[in-house]
Amino acid sequence: MSYEKEIMEKSEKGESLGERLDIPLLKYMWDASPISFYNKENYHDFFKKISVLSSFSDNEIRLFTKFLHRREFMPNETIFKQGDSGYGFYFIFNGAVDVYANHNPQIESNGEFVIRLDKRQFFGEMGLLEEFNRRSATIIAAENTVLLGIFKPDLERMLEMYPVMGAKFLRETALIMANRMGQLTREIIALKKRVKELEQRL
Amino acid sequence: MNKNQKIKLYLFLFISAATIVFAILFPRLTLPFGFSYIIYLMSRPFTLRLTTGSTKQRLGYFFLMIIGIFFLGLPIFATLHNVDTDFSSLSSHLPELQKTLQNKYFAFKVKVFEDYGWQLNVDPVDYLIRKIEGFGAFLLTSFPNYLSSLFEWFLLVPLFLYFFFMESHRFSRRFLEAIPNPIFEKCYVLFSQFNTKFGEYIIAKFIEATILGTLVTGGLLVIGFPYPFILGFIAGITNILPYIGPIIGVVPAIFVALLSKDPNVTMLSMVIIYSLANLIDMVLVFPLLVSKIVNLHPIVVVVSIVVGSQVGGIIGVIVIIPFIAFFKLLFKEIYKDLSVNL
Repeated sequence: MSYEKEIMEKSEKGESLGERLDIPLLKYMWDASPISFYNKENYHDFFKKISVLSSFSDNEIRLFTKFLHRREFMPNETIFKQGDSGYGFYFIFNGAVDVYANHNPQIESNGEFVIRLDKRQFFGEMGLLEEFNRRSATIIAAENTVLLGIFKPDLERMLEMYPVMGAKFLRETALIMANRMGQLTREIIALKKRVKELEQRL
Repeated sequence: MNKNQKIKLYLFLFISAATIVFAILFPRLTLPFGFSYIIYLMSRPFTLRLTTGSTKQRLGYFFLMIIGIFFLGLPIFATLHNVDTDFSSLSSHLPELQKTLQNKYFAFKVKVFEDYGWQLNVDPVDYLIRKIEGFGAFLLTSFPNYLSSLFEWFLLVPLFLYFFFMESHRFSRRFLEAIPNPIFEKCYVLFSQFNTKFGEYIIAKFIEATILGTLVTGGLLVIGFPYPFILGFIAGITNILPYIGPIIGVVPAIFVALLSKDPNVTMLSMVIIYSLANLIDMVLVFPLLVSKIVNLHPIVVVVSIVVGSQVGGIIGVIVIIPFIAFFKLLFKEIYKDLSVNL
């Protein structure tokens, strides 16, 4: 007899329900509730909320997660250094990372702090697309961080096994790069303008 | 890198080195394991396609695979079937060949004495026959050992193959998870490149050997040369060795041509057939199939073959080339990193 039936029968008969609580059942109810499902985020839900995979169907996301590698980093652990060979694209599943630029290998410093990336943000897409990529920044875990990485061999395998999905992913990655290029171009134009203004003032 | 990360890295390197030492110390396990891995890698492109895509695509690949196996297997089956006949014929003719060889050598000895006045005291024919007899006796005495190792292979290869097909994905996931963070990206990419190169190389060499063996057998059949199947089979097998393989492959045919009394059997026609087959291999088959996979200097290739045969016999000779190609890739990567960091 199930716990619910037992309680219902007892309450119908007017019997006392007893003081002891059935913890396993409560635990099950809690785990099965929509609230706890929302908190215990799985890869599928994680990627549903990421813009890069917005065009992916549920099944494609399920297949995509099979190509990922979960890597765990401790606070202050270096994920990669500026100038390292790059082969992978990372999504931040949990935690946060700090981006540093202008790293000098002669000095034991990480370089200048640029930005902090949080959960659901991503980095390293150039490593996936360029043939001989050198990382353009140093990335360091700011706290306990879980990254989901996809690497060149995975992309090749994906294109071979699921060409449509692979092409979609490549298109989305190319879009990210195009957006970043556009942003860079705008920044260069603004900087040039500023330099011109300064030159005119002088 | 903190203390824990350092311990993890050193532990991983130690376990990797210990695995390599274990593999070298126990070739009875390593060789069947390597052989099973070769078969697994060879069949992986097809098995991958058979498990993905729509039902129509899977069926298409299945039929393509059957057709491929048929066209590749047919010449091998025909050759192996006839090799037995050729071998029996060769064994029955051995005493006759020995007599012919001795007569020819005697005539040569007399000619040297008459023309130059030199008395040849060595008897290479007798030496050769004694060696062949000795080899036969060795084969008989070591037969039980061969049988037991064959039995071991029959047990181990299917077991390892089952492991590779059923568990390799999970096992490689676990292995990759164990790689420490600082070296993960590089290790994973190199590991994948090695697997791809190794599989492609083995398939390419297998196809190349089949094509060359078929060409030689066909050519020898056309000119009516004796033992075409066994000679074609030898030419195909020895072709696995780059550069020196084709030369070793032609040696038995030269012996047969020298000893044959048949006027139709000429050295020239045989040499033309072997040269044509090797030319087709060099101009068409090798550049299309193999050269893109392995790009090594000829001296490196020859030295590698010697080392491979010393360490792992026939299997060693076959697998050493992709291993060296992988080490070249590894050193290039390390050198690239060092040049950036310095």
